[in-house]
Amino acid sequence: MSKPVIEAVDIVKRLGRGAAEVQALRGVSLELAPGELTLLMGPSGSGKTTLLSVLGCMLTPSSGTVRVRGESTANAGHAKLARLRRDHVGFIFQSYHLVPTLSALDNVRLALDVRGRYGKPAIAKALDGLAMVGLSHKKNAFPQDMSGGEQQRVAIARAIVGNPSVILADEPTGALDTENGQAVMTVLANIAKDPAHGVLVVTHDPRVRAFANRIIHIEDGRIVDEERGAAGLVAAAE
Amino acid sequence: MSLILRLASRNLFQDRLRFVATIIGIVFSIVLVTVQLGLFLGFQKMVTTMIDHAPADLWIVSRGTKCFEDPSMLDRRDQTKALSVPGVVDAVPLLIGFTEWAVPNDGSTPVFVVGTSPEGLRPWHVVQGNPADLSDAHAVAVDQTYFGRLGVSALGDTTTIRGHKVIVKAVTRGIRSFTTTPYVFAPMESAQTYIGVSRNDVSYLLVRLSQGANANAVREALAKKLDKVEVLTTDEFRNRSRTFWLFGTGAGFALFGGALLGAIVGTVIIAQTLYSSTKDHLTEFATLRAIGSSSFYIHKVIITQALLSAVIGFGVAFLIDLAVLRFTMDSALPIVITPILTLGLFVLTVIMCVASAASAIVQVTRIDPARVFRQ
Repeated sequence: MSKPVIEAVDIVKRLGRGAAEVQALRGVSLELAPGELTLLMGPSGSGKTTLLSVLGCMLTPSSGTVRVRGESTANAGHAKLARLRRDHVGFIFQSYHLVPTLSALDNVRLALDVRGRYGKPAIAKALDGLAMVGLSHKKNAFPQDMSGGEQQRVAIARAIVGNPSVILADEPTGALDTENGQAVMTVLANIAKDPAHGVLVVTHDPRVRAFANRIIHIEDGRIVDEERGAAGLVAAAE
Repeated sequence: MSLILRLASRNLFQDRLRFVATIIGIVFSIVLVTVQLGLFLGFQKMVTTMIDHAPADLWIVSRGTKCFEDPSMLDRRDQTKALSVPGVVDAVPLLIGFTEWAVPNDGSTPVFVVGTSPEGLRPWHVVQGNPADLSDAHAVAVDQTYFGRLGVSALGDTTTIRGHKVIVKAVTRGIRSFTTTPYVFAPMESAQTYIGVSRNDVSYLLVRLSQGANANAVREALAKKLDKVEVLTTDEFRNRSRTFWLFGTGAGFALFGGALLGAIVGTVIIAQTLYSSTKDHLTEFATLRAIGSSSFYIHKVIITQALLSAVIGFGVAFLIDLAVLRFTMDSALPIVITPILTLGLFVLTVIMCVASAASAIVQVTRIDPARVFRQ
């Protein structure tokens, strides 16, 4: 098995202070492998988003260890966490979070711009990203002129264009109809076939199980079950 | 166009009303600062206008003289002593003082008489008549701006000063007094009569040095030779006059205070609008942080927004300043805008805008990137 892109060991995360303190994660351990699409499923308040934030270097754990491509986030400040995200993580959000005043092409370019990649090579790379999600023809369109599915595909292009080790998607189909949801998951599944990337999708949506290699269930801040998804079973059979 | 510039400009122009409010804030502030500092420069120029036009290398003044308008008198016999000092080519007397000008059919008005001689301080910017005619005992030169105040309207008009007949023999344009009291140039002896001083009384001696003379050495020699006087260079006398009128009277502090107030008001207005713009775009900035942008990258977006505001605001303010400049050109106190002042104002605008960005920068620095999951 190839080296995990993200490795979490016995993660505890406490949120809030004093009487308001909540233990959102209670000793979570998991590994995300490249070339796999992993689903993280669980009810509301189970700790999915907190785990995503910790794995995506937005939060540091209260205890336990997170390693991204072997680099620990322990005692990391804002700058180091930002660098780890920049170097290794691509995010996809339920609400897309595209910049409304920028075109689809510029939204994708933004992910390169923050990495210090400018000019014609960056534009060419961003165009490749849009082509990969089938939106070359929408390069000059603004978010308000695109459907939800198209906006989410632009967000996927933005996440993948920096060539991250792992893509973390938070309810990527949550705001989409079945057709658009399937289209988005197909793109994510294709990305996960590339052994350079791992994909973790947080979802409530049972329709996306078919795309998963692994399915992790979380409840009350603990991983309670793990199973092979349909894609994983096919891959194992092959 | 760089993506940072594009993002900053779109953030800036997205809310037109707020953009207009920002620009109005900058324009208001910069025009206010320009008018105050322009008045300061104009005032500074006006209080030394006589010194600037007097043909003197050194000024012999009564000890303790604070400004050109100081009423202290010298003994004219000092002229002979001064001329005996090696290096002195000439020591021309100059007399100044207030008196009353009879306005034909309308009472009288105070005037500031400048007693001249052919080698001394002569009226400049003469637009009618001939300054050489001021050798005539009754001749006076007045500025056309004060025609209404003085009750005259053309060359050859007559009236009286303290009962003595005067004839307008020369008319100038733009020799205005910051005290609003009109200047009247008259021959030396006549001026002594108008002001009511003796033939031995003069206000200043304008010293001209021979070519190659050492100004400091001559100055020291004059100071030794003459009692109860000071010998000043033109620059020293100019600075002394400016210091007295601008800071001794508090006028300069008032003008600077106004300028400072303008800058503060402008900074607060820009800070407020930038802060509210940043607040409206917090989710976008959080997204930028989430996708790995450094704090510096986000600061660059905000500062670019501030700089764009500065350039546009300054451009509009500059056009208004030119209109104000034109409007005040013939007023009692015209404002003066120099290239250095313009450059300084642009730098001030940039500093104001960048300083205003500080509150917005503090705000985005505190953004939790994880907030994007909650929205």
